[in-house]
Amino acid sequence: MELSWNLLGQLAWTGLATSSYYALFAIAFSLVLKINGVWNFSQAGIMVFAYYGMYTGLQVLGLSTPVSLFIGLMTAIVASIGLEVYGFNILRKRKSPVLTYFIFTIVLAQFAVFLTELIYGTAPTTLYPSLMSPVFLVNGIVVSHWDLQAITITVILISSLYLYFKFTHQGQSLVAIADNPPLAEMFGINLQRGYIIAISISAVFITAGMYLFGTKAALFPSTPLLQLLIFSVIATIMAGLGNIFGAALAAIFLGLFQTFSILIIPSKWQILLAYILIFVVIIFFPEGVRMPKRKIKRHDLNEIID
Amino acid sequence: MEYIISLLILTGINAILATSFNLILGYGGLLSIAHPIFYAIGGYASALIGIHFSVPVPLAILIGGLIAAILSFGVSLPSLRVSGDYLVIASLGFQLGVLHIINNVEFTGAASGLSNIPLLIEGANRSKLSLLIVIIVLVVCILLINWIVKGPYGRAITAMRNDETAFSAIGRNPIQIKVFLMALGSGIAGIAGGLYGHFFLYLSPEQFGIFTSAAFLTMVVIGGAGTVWGPAIGALILTLFPEAITFLNLPVSVMAPLQGVIFTTLVLIFIFFRPQGMIGGHRGIDGLAVWSQKIDMSRKPEKK
Repeated sequence: MELSWNLLGQLAWTGLATSSYYALFAIAFSLVLKINGVWNFSQAGIMVFAYYGMYTGLQVLGLSTPVSLFIGLMTAIVASIGLEVYGFNILRKRKSPVLTYFIFTIVLAQFAVFLTELIYGTAPTTLYPSLMSPVFLVNGIVVSHWDLQAITITVILISSLYLYFKFTHQGQSLVAIADNPPLAEMFGINLQRGYIIAISISAVFITAGMYLFGTKAALFPSTPLLQLLIFSVIATIMAGLGNIFGAALAAIFLGLFQTFSILIIPSKWQILLAYILIFVVIIFFPEGVRMPKRKIKRHDLNEIID
Repeated sequence: MEYIISLLILTGINAILATSFNLILGYGGLLSIAHPIFYAIGGYASALIGIHFSVPVPLAILIGGLIAAILSFGVSLPSLRVSGDYLVIASLGFQLGVLHIINNVEFTGAASGLSNIPLLIEGANRSKLSLLIVIIVLVVCILLINWIVKGPYGRAITAMRNDETAFSAIGRNPIQIKVFLMALGSGIAGIAGGLYGHFFLYLSPEQFGIFTSAAFLTMVVIGGAGTVWGPAIGALILTLFPEAITFLNLPVSVMAPLQGVIFTTLVLIFIFFRPQGMIGGHRGIDGLAVWSQKIDMSRKPEKK
């Protein structure tokens, strides 16, 4: 493959657009880990429910896109709230060890996959009959409508979440719960309500991500568990646990890394890089990949003192 | 009859796997979920040796087990640096990475699987004799693990699991125990893989993925982690129960997901209504509570 600026630009753009749904899934995963305190592998099940909710609206019932999106979103939110109230809450009260959560979340994801296979079959499906998206050229780089839609949705959702955490009482309550649940409760914050809000927000991100994925590629019921979720796990670890927006950045980095890796290795080995990354990051950067901290200079100190 | 014997062989192999996994997880407290990959490594190694070299099948199975034991360093080395939920994720990365390699290289048959595997035993009584061998291996495994955990070394394992820092402070070496447990458990899993491959004569990467990890974990926890017989009983229940619907003669497209739904429902019922496991009552809630490894976001990663 001959390298050119156009090729590199194209890869960067495609990688950026594709990584949009990775970023949304990573935020959903990292958010539940930070606030609910659970490695939520059953996110794969919620992804399946969200997707097939939309699929039922669009392909089975022939409904419009907004109504189908609403069905998918409601399915994901209801399933997520059920998961928190009848799953995590019970395990939390029981003070279950990490492996019980692992088994529960994985098995629940499997349950969702099997149930979906039973109802919809094992064949891959797409949200629309055609995955083609109109394209145009910008300085020799092919830009599709899907790319613009994906990036816009992702930017809007991430910005909204940032503003929600930064400027709303409810968002700050969630941050307080994440930092120290008993202390937050002592200050009158309802923990259970916070957990439900957090997992519902994650359902919104999951639904948006699944909509983008389902309009770009075909989906098997097992795809979220076997392929998509792993990127969220790696991104969360790379960013450092609890760093929600860092997880989104890490997911974008992973998406770009995967796209650019086709210059060096065949596509079938790309996912192996992700698995190697899990290993390397956990062994060498268990607290996440961080930039070196800036040293505080004397004049900064003076400013602080003043 | 042939079907029932095959099912019993599969149950026996799962019981060997659950028992060996229990050594790592229940007794050693090493939260690795990569056990199926050692099952795969043993199965593939033994099958490939059997196919390409004129080595007797039992020897090929033992070599497969040895290779699995050696490759267990891939998980035991991270366990020297991180533990708890981090080790779960690291072991998951190791498992999926190795599985991806198996899934993409030609000599393992790639995604279409490996066939033409030589038989463990030939002749009219092949199935019955194979079942006998599996039962013997299972009993030997259980007795071996019982002997290890009930002896002085078992007390050292328990001490390391309960408080690694204190264990190191008295001059004992936790690294040696971790590496030993991982190698022994994985070696036994490798032998189980060999038995599986040389009886069922087909191996496919999808048999050893994350679903299988959850299944083995469930067998251990449902049976009772850290108990000698519990995991074997867990394997018995979880292998045989979903198979009960096989007699309904449903189409394959319905049968497989329905079995999956039954299996996962069974596990969910156990998690919420019998969390201590079948025979783990004395161990407290969840059968695994001995480790008290709860997610606590306020703490730093358990880096060593």
